[in-house]
Amino acid sequence: MKHIFTRMYVLLLAVMLISSTAVAQTTVSGTVTDSDNIPLIGVSVSVKGTPIGTITDIDGKYSLKVPDGATALQFDYVGFSTIEQAIDGSSSYSIVLSDSATELDEIVVTGLATSVKRSNLANSVASISAAELTGVTVPTTTDAALYGKFKGAEIRASSGAPGGGISVKLRGTTSINGSSQPLFIIDGVYIDNSAIPAGLNSVSRASSGGSTSNQDNPSNRLADIDPEDIENIEILKGASAAAQYGSRASGGVVIITTKKGKAGPTEVQFGQSIGWTEMLNPLGQREWTEDRVLNSNFVDAIDEFRAGPINNYEELLYGNKGLLATSRLSIRGGSDKTKFFIGTTYKNEDGIVENTGYDKTSARININHKLTEWLDLSTTTAYINSSADRGFFNNDNSGTTMGISFTSTPSFAQLLPDSEGVYPANPYAPSNFLETAAKVTNNEKVNRLLGGGSATAKLFTNDNNNLRLILRGGIDYYNLATSALFPNDLQFQRDGAGLNGVSVQGSTNNFNSNVAAFLVHSLYTDSGLNFRTQLGLTQESFNRNTILGEAFDMIGSQTNLDQGGSRNVTQTRLLQKDKGFFVQEELNWDDKVMLTVGLRGDKSSNNSDANQLFYYPKASVAVNLHEFGFLPQDGVLSQFKVRTAYGQSGNFPQFGAKFTSFGSTIVDGMAGVTIGSLQGNSAVGPERQTEVEFGFDLGFLNNRILLDATYYVKSVSDLLLNADVPTSSGFTSQVTNAAELQNRGLEIGLNAKVIDGEDFDWFSRVNWWKNNAEVTRLSVPAFTTGGFADFLGNFMVKEGYSPTAVIGVGANPDITLNGTGEPTLQLYGDAEPDFQTSFYNQLSYKDVDLTFLVHWKKGGKNINLSTLLFDLNNTTHDFDDVELDPEGALGNGDYRLSQLGVNTAPYIEDASYVRLREIGLFYNIPKSTFNDLMRLKVGFSGTNLLNFFEYNSYDPEVSNFGSGGLSTGVEVTPFPSAKRFNFHVTATF
Amino acid sequence: MKFSFNKLFILTAVFSLTLWTSCNIDEIPDPNGTSLEDILEGASASELQTLVTGIESLMGQEIGFYYDVTSIIGRDYWFFTGSDPRYTGELLGREESQLDNAGFYGTRPYFGRYRTIKNCNILLEAVDNAAPGLSAADIAGYKGFAQTIQAYELLLASNLQYQNGIRLDVADPDNLGAFVDYDAALTSIMSLLDAANQSLTGSSFRFSLSGGFAGFDTPETFSHFNRALAARVAVYQGDKAKARTALAESFMMAGGDLNTGPALYFSTAGGEVSNPVFRPTNQADAIIAHPSFPAALDPMDARNSKVALRDAALTLDGLTGDYDVVVYKDLSDNIPLIRNEELVLISAEANIGFDNAAAETALNVIRTQNGLDIYMGATDDASLVDELLTQRWLSLWGEGHRWVDMRRYGRLGDLPLDRVGDDVWEQMPRPVSEN
Repeated sequence: MKHIFTRMYVLLLAVMLISSTAVAQTTVSGTVTDSDNIPLIGVSVSVKGTPIGTITDIDGKYSLKVPDGATALQFDYVGFSTIEQAIDGSSSYSIVLSDSATELDEIVVTGLATSVKRSNLANSVASISAAELTGVTVPTTTDAALYGKFKGAEIRASSGAPGGGISVKLRGTTSINGSSQPLFIIDGVYIDNSAIPAGLNSVSRASSGGSTSNQDNPSNRLADIDPEDIENIEILKGASAAAQYGSRASGGVVIITTKKGKAGPTEVQFGQSIGWTEMLNPLGQREWTEDRVLNSNFVDAIDEFRAGPINNYEELLYGNKGLLATSRLSIRGGSDKTKFFIGTTYKNEDGIVENTGYDKTSARININHKLTEWLDLSTTTAYINSSADRGFFNNDNSGTTMGISFTSTPSFAQLLPDSEGVYPANPYAPSNFLETAAKVTNNEKVNRLLGGGSATAKLFTNDNNNLRLILRGGIDYYNLATSALFPNDLQFQRDGAGLNGVSVQGSTNNFNSNVAAFLVHSLYTDSGLNFRTQLGLTQESFNRNTILGEAFDMIGSQTNLDQGGSRNVTQTRLLQKDKGFFVQEELNWDDKVMLTVGLRGDKSSNNSDANQLFYYPKASVAVNLHEFGFLPQDGVLSQFKVRTAYGQSGNFPQFGAKFTSFGSTIVDGMAGVTIGSLQGNSAVGPERQTEVEFGFDLGFLNNRILLDATYYVKSVSDLLLNADVPTSSGFTSQVTNAAELQNRGLEIGLNAKVIDGEDFDWFSRVNWWKNNAEVTRLSVPAFTTGGFADFLGNFMVKEGYSPTAVIGVGANPDITLNGTGEPTLQLYGDAEPDFQTSFYNQLSYKDVDLTFLVHWKKGGKNINLSTLLFDLNNTTHDFDDVELDPEGALGNGDYRLSQLGVNTAPYIEDASYVRLREIGLFYNIPKSTFNDLMRLKVGFSGTNLLNFFEYNSYDPEVSNFGSGGLSTGVEVTPFPSAKRFNFHVTATF
Repeated sequence: MKFSFNKLFILTAVFSLTLWTSCNIDEIPDPNGTSLEDILEGASASELQTLVTGIESLMGQEIGFYYDVTSIIGRDYWFFTGSDPRYTGELLGREESQLDNAGFYGTRPYFGRYRTIKNCNILLEAVDNAAPGLSAADIAGYKGFAQTIQAYELLLASNLQYQNGIRLDVADPDNLGAFVDYDAALTSIMSLLDAANQSLTGSSFRFSLSGGFAGFDTPETFSHFNRALAARVAVYQGDKAKARTALAESFMMAGGDLNTGPALYFSTAGGEVSNPVFRPTNQADAIIAHPSFPAALDPMDARNSKVALRDAALTLDGLTGDYDVVVYKDLSDNIPLIRNEELVLISAEANIGFDNAAAETALNVIRTQNGLDIYMGATDDASLVDELLTQRWLSLWGEGHRWVDMRRYGRLGDLPLDRVGDDVWEQMPRPVSEN
């Protein structure tokens, strides 16, 4: 490797030395202001096509020596449109910058060290601004703020439990057993987004039946990041854009940039929102009659029915109107040398189930300092402290979760506590869920520190050359303390019914660090041909240690682990070290043609050979046809860009895939070792994704209307499979590179400033996207996975089918899993939606703003086992409606049950929805009202206020198995999702 | 000044570059457990002990599924749970439903047995490559233990798979042996037991076993367990002479405690495995005795203690029962591997058609010890077989025998069906991963 770098280096130095020639110069100066005539400090002013530039001072003034022959000055400022001013011989130019009118001029961070103007991008990179992210309503978590805001993603909440739990898939499924989740990078810090289970399994025994998967449904750690701190999010959706990130970028990369200081008077902003949350879609309960009781599982309970009264348990369990409160204080300011941003948020949200909720305090300080003319330093630091009470839900094999015990309880059961607060035992289930809600704790507490720093040095600058060195490092440290408490007076713990009280205390320490160094060389030539060369080295290390202690047989109401009669400890560690390099060359011919080629090399301790380098190339070209001057100058067609990009990226095998190891056990006080069920694979390597995308961008009427379309083909080879091995070997699976899949998709966006009037503005955006996936090669036998059993609906991995194909049993089997036998399974569709579309609108009339986002997901199947459990217990809300039976004889419940084991169709449902994702109505009270003391913004907002779906449960957006693997869309009695209503006041001083 | 700063930065860059290229990534060994390679090369006696204890632990893992599946299909009991419809659906052949070759009820008990066998194979290989210091008698002791356990686990796998056959040679995961049919499997299991017994003779146990093997933890007493298993396999094979020989070398004691025998050790102590079949009584999630069992019991029969009348009947999926199963009294009750009561019954079986009087005597041991009068029925072979199957049903109820017994006597059709459309399965499907 060494000689490649050395050669690159010599080349760079040579380029720098050759290209310095002296030319005559004149000086130009002026002032830059915004449209309110307020001076803008720190605006970048440069001579177009050269590295010569400066920034405006505290009064918005600049002065610059311009070489002869220079044609134009360029003014760039974050959040404002870039302006080009022709040099016409004058020595003074005063410039007014206006807010970004269109997206085209915004600067997009696309690489580890560099950014590109959107109009020159060869990829479809989505950007989400702070205004869209948090400007409409208060999202609970950052990922929850992404819904419907960009093309090419499938975002799904696993449940409605407070504190998050969301999966993001960009441009389809990219891995079957590995993670399809994108890499999240905040200000250059690689952040951990794991979901670490709290050990509820020792009570729920969820993994002891049809599924060995843990179904604790923990939150994912991206939830810690405060969305209010975010300035901008860039989403690199596939390998063609993300190849620079190499082995970690197969799921795409989400680059988050937090807010930075601004030179000028210090701005203090205080915001308070307050609101409530309530159940999104109450289903109701079965209405019992004497006859119905006598013909049900509850025939022996007819006396209880006659005694009454009927209770609304759905309301009692899920009817809590949770209080939502968010306070936010931010201060930003600075001088031309030092800028700072301080943001702090306190959030306190209650859930729709008693004793659930989410509490978070976060604080961030970002400082940028210009040490010398040639050296910029910046640091970002964030501290987060959060606590989430998530309740006890999802699948179990002990009948004890609130969701499962609710399914087996008829409305005539008497579960309310007596006058002394004693809860009666639920005769119909192992758990009185009202008691469970009141007494069980399932808490996640996080203390997290994110810190990053960077130094950018201009090593060398002359008229047509500059060389920058960028050094960057970051850490992500957190401690996650989980606590699951099941006191011994619970129905399912007392009187020998369970383990006489359980306390599960988990502690995870996670420390990730990354350092990187980049050299960026720019060369500007007189012919208008500009070159940018990058060379970078990266190193990341990951270290996680989880200790989970379980204690049973608790003394009284004690919860410490040493207060149990029996204890058990497990420890899991995860260690990984990666190193990589990349080189990239960009060529820009006068903004007419942009060409990029690059190569990334990566090695990792997770691969079977830790020092084997894997290479990921990329190449792209974009052509701005409108820059060539042969488009009609009438302004109807103002932009026309065609682009194509190619790239590769990877995905590591799961940690431990290469080891065959023993687990530990104890029998009668003696320690023992038991062979693990995973057969190590000494030849396991990363998955490799190859993506090609093509697209065009059109601008009409001076770019008032923008239309873009992108088609991509994304193939993953060496796909990692947790391939089943014959279990008579003593193992159940082995991780192998054994398949290929392909995603093809289309993304179309239309942005329009529909009305741009004096008092009234209307901006509208429609996004439409779809993805089709197919397994193109499978070198192990086809298999089903992800669900509980084929007859309960499962996912099938088979060549020629979507990796998320949903199968079941049925009257017309059309699938033969293996060989040439009779078909045994029936294909019911695909978990992947047919398409998604979102419709974003921003209307403002004078000082009133109305913003709303409608999100439509069409198609996609869910496996609804909540309904099955209600049916089996004869308690389904629609049990007696006659809608499904083709003969019109049986009620829905009896009909579905009659099909159980024979026909899975009744439990595989269309998961389409149309939602009013977000709506916000705000009134801006101008400064003049308050004697220039402050500006005030007041308003109302809501999340998911309107929902339209046919799906027969609380919400089609659900996943019993969290974000892992393929199996999103399996429902087993989740924490129901909620609507949110908020009132806001924001004062800016 | 500026120049020197620039120099500094270039130096830093060159330095970091050198650092990067010169440093290889160290291979990280698995931080979470012993690796297979470690234990296969030069294992110490204490490492071999951990393998032995691991084998005992594995014998008790996924075993709840074995007892539940055999007892549900054999109509000993039902498992009513709101969490999974398959216990009252597929396993009872409800309506059109079929057994699923990927269903956990078939794959997990099967895998559990082979995982134990794998640990035994690792022990056998580790013993051959162990660190110096083991005597020939020590080595024979490990082998006798490991092979006996392998034979037992193969027998359980064979009980589930029946005519589908099982694999015997599974030492090399990348090169597994062929499936052999039921009869050949029993023949090989018997040879393995004989070979193990050979190893045990004159060997020494350099390792300790749990309290589950109390009284069977020396080579000599462990051999009695080995022969007891041989007697069971022999009656499965229909080789009554061999069964009688094996019984003579086993721990059978006609007048002794019927519960004597080695057992799977369960405990609620920290980190230990607890009894997977035990369920508390009067729960809504419950193991319910098939009504035929309490109905068949004489009020005097001591075997009434295996069930307990519930406070209220429980109904699920068209099935109703009044009795909870209380074969095990709590989470730390051991589960017998084979006990004296079965050996006495094997002795009865092995004498039918050979010495019917001896068979009748053995059956009367069972009857009288359980508080019943002596057998008064006909003593022809057929009648004695009927009585034998009844006593085996009542005595070994809930321990996974009824289904196997009715199958080997071709009487699966005699098992009671409770709903129109129910079926009694003959065998579990071969797990999907084996195809």
